[in-house]
Amino acid sequence: MSTTEIDLGGGAKLFLEPSSVLPLVSIVVAFRTGSAHDPPGKEGLSRVTARMLRRGSAGLDAMETERAIDRLGGEVSFEVAISSTAVGAQVLARNATAFVDLVAKMIATPAFDEGELARLLRETRAELLETLDNDRALADRFFRKKLFGAHGYGRTSRGTAASIAAIDREAVKAHHRKHYVRENAIVAMSGDVEPAFAEKLARTIVDALPDGTPPGEVLTEPSPITGRQLVFVDKPDRTQTQILIGSLGTSAHDPDHVPFVVANNIFGGTFTSRLTREVRGKRGWSYGASSRLGVDRKRHSFAMWTFPASTDAAACIELEISLLEKLLEGGVTDREIKFMQRYISRSWAFEIDTAQKRVHQALDVEILGLPRDYYDKYLEHVANVTAESANAALRARLDPKNLVIAVVGTAATTEGAVKAKIADLASDEVVPYDLESR
Amino acid sequence: MVNMTPIEKAVAKANEKPVEGAGKIRFESNVAFGGSTVHVLAMDNGLRVLLLVDRSAPVVAYATWFRVGSRHEKPGKTGLAHLFEHLMFNETEHLKAGEFDRKLEEAGAESNAATWLDWTYYYEAVPKDRIGLVIQLEADRMAHLVLREAQVTSEKEVVANERRYRVDDDVEGLASEMLYRTAFQRHNYGWPTIGWMEDIQGFVPADCESFYETYYAPNNATVVIVGDVREADVLTKLRAAYGKLPKAKIPDEDTHPEAPQTEERVVTLRKPTATEKLVIGYHGPALADPDHAPLAVLSEILLGGRASRAYRAMLIDSEIATDLRGWASTFRDPGLFEVYLTARPGKTKDELLAAFDKEIAKLHDETVSDDELQCAKARLELGGLQSLDTASGKAEQIGFYDTVVGDPAGAFRRLEAYRRVTAGDVRRVARRFLVNRARTIVHVLPEQTQNEAA
Repeated sequence: MSTTEIDLGGGAKLFLEPSSVLPLVSIVVAFRTGSAHDPPGKEGLSRVTARMLRRGSAGLDAMETERAIDRLGGEVSFEVAISSTAVGAQVLARNATAFVDLVAKMIATPAFDEGELARLLRETRAELLETLDNDRALADRFFRKKLFGAHGYGRTSRGTAASIAAIDREAVKAHHRKHYVRENAIVAMSGDVEPAFAEKLARTIVDALPDGTPPGEVLTEPSPITGRQLVFVDKPDRTQTQILIGSLGTSAHDPDHVPFVVANNIFGGTFTSRLTREVRGKRGWSYGASSRLGVDRKRHSFAMWTFPASTDAAACIELEISLLEKLLEGGVTDREIKFMQRYISRSWAFEIDTAQKRVHQALDVEILGLPRDYYDKYLEHVANVTAESANAALRARLDPKNLVIAVVGTAATTEGAVKAKIADLASDEVVPYDLESR
Repeated sequence: MVNMTPIEKAVAKANEKPVEGAGKIRFESNVAFGGSTVHVLAMDNGLRVLLLVDRSAPVVAYATWFRVGSRHEKPGKTGLAHLFEHLMFNETEHLKAGEFDRKLEEAGAESNAATWLDWTYYYEAVPKDRIGLVIQLEADRMAHLVLREAQVTSEKEVVANERRYRVDDDVEGLASEMLYRTAFQRHNYGWPTIGWMEDIQGFVPADCESFYETYYAPNNATVVIVGDVREADVLTKLRAAYGKLPKAKIPDEDTHPEAPQTEERVVTLRKPTATEKLVIGYHGPALADPDHAPLAVLSEILLGGRASRAYRAMLIDSEIATDLRGWASTFRDPGLFEVYLTARPGKTKDELLAAFDKEIAKLHDETVSDDELQCAKARLELGGLQSLDTASGKAEQIGFYDTVVGDPAGAFRRLEAYRRVTAGDVRRVARRFLVNRARTIVHVLPEQTQNEAA
């Protein structure tokens, strides 16, 4: 890997990937903890804390902060995932120094003004209502909730109306104190910046952070579900459904992870995959038809995603389950494996064609706790996959008898037909689409 | 060849080899593109070629822009350009169904396509040693596509589902469709690119065949290549693949300009959504209009980011909105300045409109501050540079500006234009475009609400 790693002391590190292609500098300040650390009943705390960072810090109020970002030609975003929190920033290279000073202040010395927090909490509650317009997001939320239950992966990082109401300034301050410490920080920098200067900029950020011991791992291994479980998310007036069908997948640490990735790509990962060909190509039932793997520190998910018209939903679910059964019975073939190996190895050029992508690979390795050479050896692992190892991975990880089926649609017109087409249904429930925003 | 530039030498080399029935390539000009150069070339059959050698990564982006979009359709046949884009991934005289995508995937390619009001484009990005394959595949489907009943029927279903996804079950998608239908009563921009559902369902293979024969020809297309290529090699391959394709007689366009709007139009939409929403469209400039860049600056000052005027007024000070966004459309003919406003629970569309109008009035009456101008320009500069990050990003910008305004370096011309915008320009374009009589408003109301709009 061309990325340089620099020890910034006190547990913090910098990954650096200079490139003069564009006069821009990109910076990610990541922390190794995320929404998995939200206390029970305070779901959404990590996200609220991160969003407060731009709402005032030492010497600058919220509006002055926004103005300063804009004036420098900068952009700042916050991403809270289960296992990580990332402050992403990009700026015109000529303004990098002033911008980094600003970002350091935002991260290390936020004011957590009471009035600003109250405003953000009101905003968050209103946003929760707006997400109800997004059927895809609803399907995803209820799929994960059903699949993972009380496990960290089943919790919401956005929060619910009730959990947002339970967040106060003390909780936010305590969360910041605990997680935004030097030892928990990783800086990834790419773009038009000389190495020595980049190191200086990164030090500006981590030197501003207090020392402290970051909290340890809280995620356990999730437990597999048993039986076929249907959750029908009822929303009025749907002409279409959003459907996710799946179960647990692998973690990137698992020895069969890469064979599983290759097998999944054959099944539903590309435009010529089995699932896309059958659902979209032959029948035209859904504009999109794919299967995807969630990747995190622990075993995450495998899910097929389609969005057929309400009238085709039952038949589409029946087809998807039968394709999965066929995949597990017959397996993938040598020919399919070779095809997919060529696709993955040749398209690798697009995983590393910008400095930002390359430095993000290094960041991923660090956040997920993967072996240092994970991406360096990735193509070698892909090349070693055989039909035998791919099929063993599929059969070890997937069982068509144990599936979560999440459907967003109008129950009165669609749920009966859907239930009738799923053999051996172990449980089914209809939930209102606004369950979590009430 | 002593006094020839490297690109002229490459053209001469590409023309050296006799290829039966193939015309020649000629060099037309060089256009500065930031610190690089776009070579503008043309073939005898009218194919326009834009080439930018970029060795920053071992990849090549290849885009084919056809100068046909939904504006070229007819009432009753809306959505044909977009359906056709889907059909272009099917069988050809030389390739069985599914082979096009399979060959590209096997080469490790990224590929996709898009249709909009003024254009349709197809794009691939490949590792640099696979450029020959892409040239062959694209030239093949430009002239040798096979359209069969079964494929047309299946693809119509896919598009109907795409419409349900993007429009029928999507509040904003539906509101946007209503906005354009109401704002454009004469111009073809009034119908949606995806087409009306009954039109999508009514297409027969003959519609598609006639569309293909009419618009898919080298003299209606531009090929954009950006990446790690050797000029002579890529031009030789282009000539061999496209040189023999015949020109078509592209029909003269039959578009009516939109008559000036003389009074405000208001329509209402009821959907199962949590809160009231407003979509506003002011008739705006074409992308090539010199006032388009000042309007983009105005848009940043009014709606761009958290320090913008409307954000501050409606999300922070009065807390009546949850979300707001807006932009000036980037079309060949005059489009809309579109604004999307979402109310907080318990707040109404009338409160949103009153607050928004107050901001518009200020833009008419006062000049914006130097600081606001500086912030807006810096934001636009950042956005402009971000779009040029990859070979694909560059190819898209080159192809888009060339197709819509006839300038492959239009992206950089825009950045220069932003720098020249003054506070007086911003006030002038506010007065020119942001006027009530020239706007259309779509009210979106939750289904349960009783206070239906007037």
